[in-house]
Amino acid sequence: MKLLHFQPIAGKALDILDAILHTPEVASCKKEFGALRLVCEELVVNVVDYAYPKNAEGYMDIEIEREDDLIVIRFKDGGTPFNPLKREMPDITLPLEERRIGGLGIFLTVKKMDEVSYDYVNNENVLTIKKKISNEE
Amino acid sequence: MENQFDVKQEGTILTIVLGEELATANAPALMDELNKYRDKGVEKVVFDATKLNYIASSGIRTIIFAKQKLGSNPAIEFVNCAKSIYEVFEMTGIQDYITFVNK
Repeated sequence: MKLLHFQPIAGKALDILDAILHTPEVASCKKEFGALRLVCEELVVNVVDYAYPKNAEGYMDIEIEREDDLIVIRFKDGGTPFNPLKREMPDITLPLEERRIGGLGIFLTVKKMDEVSYDYVNNENVLTIKKKISNEE
Repeated sequence: MENQFDVKQEGTILTIVLGEELATANAPALMDELNKYRDKGVEKVVFDATKLNYIASSGIRTIIFAKQKLGSNPAIEFVNCAKSIYEVFEMTGIQDYITFVNK
């Protein structure tokens, strides 16, 4: 299992994303790389922008487990307890002119992954994503 | 730069030539730029997506912003939209409100 630790994280979303995408575990997912990139971006940005009170020196831990046909990534932070899966999903039947802009990132995460779950353990938000890997180019 | 964009108004048409990506790294800057065209009588917003190969939710928010804040309910057009980008639009249900053009 690969462990990545980031602290502080304020303003570092793109660096954190880059580090995740460059791990061999993620980089080796050819066909699913685009989906993983999108989802990691959405989840990292959410933690960096919203998990901690302003001026707090927050951290983020990322655990990556790669099996032959599956990748599991856990995003952990010590910020305010928040289950993004419980927030109201955007109403995608509304016309564009009536859309609200929030919640799209977690919505796309759920759509793109095979499994997304949230837990609050040891004072940490833990968001876990699982994606089946096809090993096709 | 590859990931930048170019915004230009001609008459009532606002054209945004996108780079390869519209995501966290550049979407907020595009949003700021679009904000300057709020009261400029825009009737149609054309996104030239010829080079675009990646969009995140922050990018989709710029499209929603264009629709809601520029002019009064402008038409939204996408030029040369890649399949992978179209799939994200479909997933979020916004493809019906965009005209797709291939040039």
